Amino acid sequence: MKKELLEKFAEILEEDIILESDYLNSFDEWDSLTTLSLIAMADSDYSVTLSNDTVEEFETVNDVIEYILKNAK
Amino acid sequence: MKFHFKRKEITGILSVLPSKEVHFEEEIHNYNFSEKQSLKLAKIMGYGTRRVVDHATSVSDLCLFGMNYLIKEKQLDKNSIDVLILVTQSPDYFLPPTSNVIGGELNLGENVLCLDINQGCAGYEVGLLQAYMFLDQPNINKVVLLNADVLSKKVSIKDRNSRPLVGDGATITILENNASAPETNLYIKMDGRGAKSLQIPAGGYKIPSSSETAILKKDKAGNERALDHLVMKGDDVFNFVQTKVPEMVNEVYTDLNISDREVDFYLFHQPNKFMLEKLADKMNVDRNKMPNNIVSKYGNGSGITVPLNICENISSKLDESNLKVILGGFGIGLTWSMVVCELKKMRFCEIINY
Repeated sequence: MKKELLEKFAEILEEDIILESDYLNSFDEWDSLTTLSLIAMADSDYSVTLSNDTVEEFETVNDVIEYILKNAK
Repeated sequence: MKFHFKRKEITGILSVLPSKEVHFEEEIHNYNFSEKQSLKLAKIMGYGTRRVVDHATSVSDLCLFGMNYLIKEKQLDKNSIDVLILVTQSPDYFLPPTSNVIGGELNLGENVLCLDINQGCAGYEVGLLQAYMFLDQPNINKVVLLNADVLSKKVSIKDRNSRPLVGDGATITILENNASAPETNLYIKMDGRGAKSLQIPAGGYKIPSSSETAILKKDKAGNERALDHLVMKGDDVFNFVQTKVPEMVNEVYTDLNISDREVDFYLFHQPNKFMLEKLADKMNVDRNKMPNNIVSKYGNGSGITVPLNICENISSKLDESNLKVILGGFGIGLTWSMVVCELKKMRFCEIINY
């Protein structure tokens, strides 16, 4: 499940490979549009509701992955 | 809340769009984002062209243009009108009601009731609800429902969040009693706790417009807007729509004992293409049954997107057969609503330019 989520997140960020330790700010594509794509993906694929405020607190890829997997239904 | 109506139908829809067309790429340099970022946004959201009024054009201008067209073309006898409803959030004035201004210009009789309703994205469904309730009265046989907004005037040119999606226009829907018309079921819910998810903070009596409220301020994402401008919490609205609309459609299926197989089209409000694609997927509905081309072509004109959608995508199909549809509105309020009804070939169903 984690591997699949990482792949989906990498696709949103338009990267071939992302590491859990990567900082979100290090990606060129990390902006308000990728945030919305992430919110949409979390909702449709994991039934997790993310807000902009929650996303703003994420620093690394791992923060995103952990939050989604912990709250997935 | 659920409402049930018998013997009522839509007999005509006219959409009136301003001729002026703005392309997304023409405004790209106004935003504090790279061209690449903005083009990617446009592709995903489906931004293309939108129709906007010029500075001098108001809601009553668009409505009167359409009403006079219908009267001239003999599609509408103004003496047959019992009620004139206008749903708008950009009225000509705070007072008087803009529907009275329109009624006066048309020289409508003293027995014609004119009523303004303040509603936005679900404004078509709320307008239909009010119209159907009037039609239950023994003295009322024909209601004219006007939906019109010119909200492009209230969106900051530096707000990439809202600017690229907002369009202007008006629609005129004729509703009448007909003993042989199939039933209509209307569902509506509201949650005022989300009232500020979509708003224009200043300009009313709470925070009157002043030089202060006109000052542009930059938000975290890089958009600039003033308190006089429309502001939308995109994430809240997205989550609201993706949660509440599928919930409601499931309630509708259960209540009416139907499934998506019996529904020919889902004619939903169109904030952007992305939102509707995600919504169709979440509802397990074929994306082809939920047209999403209005924003790309004309912009999101608030309460007019559903009737405009009917004129654009459904009108020619009604020549062949009647269609079972669910009309849906969601947004400002927060309000979400569905109208389950059958559409048949109308006296008129077209789009004209102002």
